[in-house]
Amino acid sequence: MAELTAFGYHPGDSVLHRLDPRFKLVCLIATSLTVLDSGMAALGLWSAACAILLVKTGVSMPRLLRELRYFGVLILFVFVARAFSAGGDPLVRFWGIGPSRQGMMEGALVGWRLGLVVLLGLSLMATTRSWQVKAAVESLLRPVPFIPHKRAATMIGLLFRFIPQILSAARETADAQKARGIGNRRNPVFRLVKLAVPLLRKTFLDADRLAAAMEARCYTEDRSTPPLSAAAGDWSFLAAVCALSAVAWVLSRL
Amino acid sequence: MNILEADRLSHRFPDGSMGIHEIGLTLRKGSFTVLAGPNGSGKTTFLRHLNGLLMPTSGEVRIKGVPVREDPRRARRLVGMVFQDADSQIVGETVYDDAAFGPENLKLDRREIHRRVLAALDAVGMSGLAGQRPHLLSGGEKRRLAIAGILAMGSEVVILDEPFSNLDYPGVRQVLGAILDLHSRGRTILLSTHDLEKTIAHADRLLLMEKGRIVADGRPGAVLGQTERYGVRRPCAVRWGRAVESWLN
Amino acid sequence: MTVYAALMAALIAAGAYIAVPVGPVPIVLQNMFVLLAGLLLGWRWGPAAVAVYLLAGVCGLPVFAGGTGGIGRLAGPTGGYLLGYLPAAAAVGWISQRAENRTFLDVAGLIVGTAIVYLCGVPWLKMVTGMSLSKSLAVGMVPFLLGDGLKIVAAAAIAKAIRPVIRKDSGAAATHEYSRS
Ligand SMILES: Nc1ncnc2c1ncn2[C@@H]1O[C@H](COP(=O)(O)OP(=O)(O)OP(=O)(O)O)[C@@H](O)[C@H]1O
Ligand SMILES: [Mg+2]
Repeated sequence: MAELTAFGYHPGDSVLHRLDPRFKLVCLIATSLTVLDSGMAALGLWSAACAILLVKTGVSMPRLLRELRYFGVLILFVFVARAFSAGGDPLVRFWGIGPSRQGMMEGALVGWRLGLVVLLGLSLMATTRSWQVKAAVESLLRPVPFIPHKRAATMIGLLFRFIPQILSAARETADAQKARGIGNRRNPVFRLVKLAVPLLRKTFLDADRLAAAMEARCYTEDRSTPPLSAAAGDWSFLAAVCALSAVAWVLSRL
Repeated sequence: MNILEADRLSHRFPDGSMGIHEIGLTLRKGSFTVLAGPNGSGKTTFLRHLNGLLMPTSGEVRIKGVPVREDPRRARRLVGMVFQDADSQIVGETVYDDAAFGPENLKLDRREIHRRVLAALDAVGMSGLAGQRPHLLSGGEKRRLAIAGILAMGSEVVILDEPFSNLDYPGVRQVLGAILDLHSRGRTILLSTHDLEKTIAHADRLLLMEKGRIVADGRPGAVLGQTERYGVRRPCAVRWGRAVESWLN
Repeated sequence: MTVYAALMAALIAAGAYIAVPVGPVPIVLQNMFVLLAGLLLGWRWGPAAVAVYLLAGVCGLPVFAGGTGGIGRLAGPTGGYLLGYLPAAAAVGWISQRAENRTFLDVAGLIVGTAIVYLCGVPWLKMVTGMSLSKSLAVGMVPFLLGDGLKIVAAAAIAKAIRPVIRKDSGAAATHEYSRS
């Protein structure tokens, strides 16, 4: 079931797999900040870097793209909306409106940014085990006051393992209902309820079983997982990301 | 020596219905017991009391003399459980991580964890799959992985809830082999099923459950005659008046 | 409860990718799951689930609507909506805990929750973009009201169906009690 989505963990031994999860998180926070206000040139740079790292993780590219096709539709939607609404001179006209050159550029830019952020997030999820995420969040939150960092970290770790499960359950439910002709029902409330109720029921029951299985194996929040240790390689990766961010920043402001 | 004792165990669900009723059971160390009963007879509910996943409304379970209620963590360490559903008991992202989950919770040191995990995976014949994603395994492999997880924790009693559901013939043989191997190493086995055919040849005791009560208890040969009265099919061989053969032969 | 809250947070996050096509526009389930977090988990754990979701988003996971993530998003024009999810889930949870399964009170709670999201979201939008109030309303609220109405009705019906599944005595609910003891 869970193996059907691109969002799960893929075992491997690439650069990203070996990187200290704390550094991965920090880098992801930094890059998703810069990516969202990058220009074309900087985006090209980021995409190249991201693509190289992703290829090295061993996640199969065609499958990844197939997985993201729904998301692709969304990006297309954003692109079209921008293209038509951004003003400027329309290139062609239908019924008085049309995509302008400016709008198309802008739409492409926004779509590209969104796509890249998703890919960055995916590469974290594909190469990091949930206990590593938990450990990283825990150690990063420790200095922040007023947050129960252990509990928060446990929950983030669990969130990581639930997301792929939920997505595949959602797809299964939707497919089963398509097969039974839900497309013929027009009432949107009916369709919402009919999708969400089985999905929630299934995921809550799964969560129940998972919790029982964890508890049966003596689960505690305080476990002896391997210690996180930052090696020279981690620092140089961080330095590389910072350098890239700086270059991207300069490029977007030229 | 009795390793596990349950005393007049009853459980009432929050909605008022009775899950199990006044169950008494003692398990001898190193025994192999099969618990049979139709769907909804309360097998799962009963088994979940034995490691403190459910607490009884009245009655008590003791593991090596210590009540579960006093120390549920100890009970869970000593009594390992393989669940009915193969998928939702996977807790790790790789086969290795999954087997290491229990020992990590026990806060053992890394070297000891590593040693135990390798030994456990080896014991169920899965050493070659350590780096795999567990969700990609076959049904039989998933069950064996669950058994390895318990082995690595060092449990002395192994409870298996319907370990053969959804398995094909090779799957059944693999899992049965792993269970018998555990038994031969001195583990106490308690296994629930509604299909006696696959296991009864190896069991030394058979319990029948119906509507939350234990209605028959004894050596398989003695109890097999009354199974169908309680909605459990007798193995074919017994119907033909022969001894049940092992599925491994 | 820890597990349920984490699960609800995951549902909110995954909700950014689950859409029901209604006519030409897909309805995204995300904000409906926020309301459901309040309805199903109550006024403490509902917002906790939202907080975990926001934390995951801040870490850069692509879990915000439209598949974005990052702190930048929280500070951006739509950040107010995201932050508004917190008090909204709390309010929905608080009201529904007092409603004891009376549907009209649940619905009232849902309306209050939705209103809170806009109360946080629209002024924020106005502030960040410098639009006039009426323009902000026209862009940041009016187009979504119909969808929100549908989601409120759906959420009430869903909560009714799911509540029996969430048992207080089940393993997931018990996990943190044991791990504390
Ligand atoms: N939380 C609960 N609240 C109310 N009734 C419950 C609950 N859990 C289980 N039951 C009921 O208790 C009875 C016994 O269930 P149990 O799962 O123990 O049966 P089982 O023997 O394991 O059946 P199966 O062979 O299907 O696994 C069933 O009728 C079930 O509906
Ligand atoms: Mg059962």
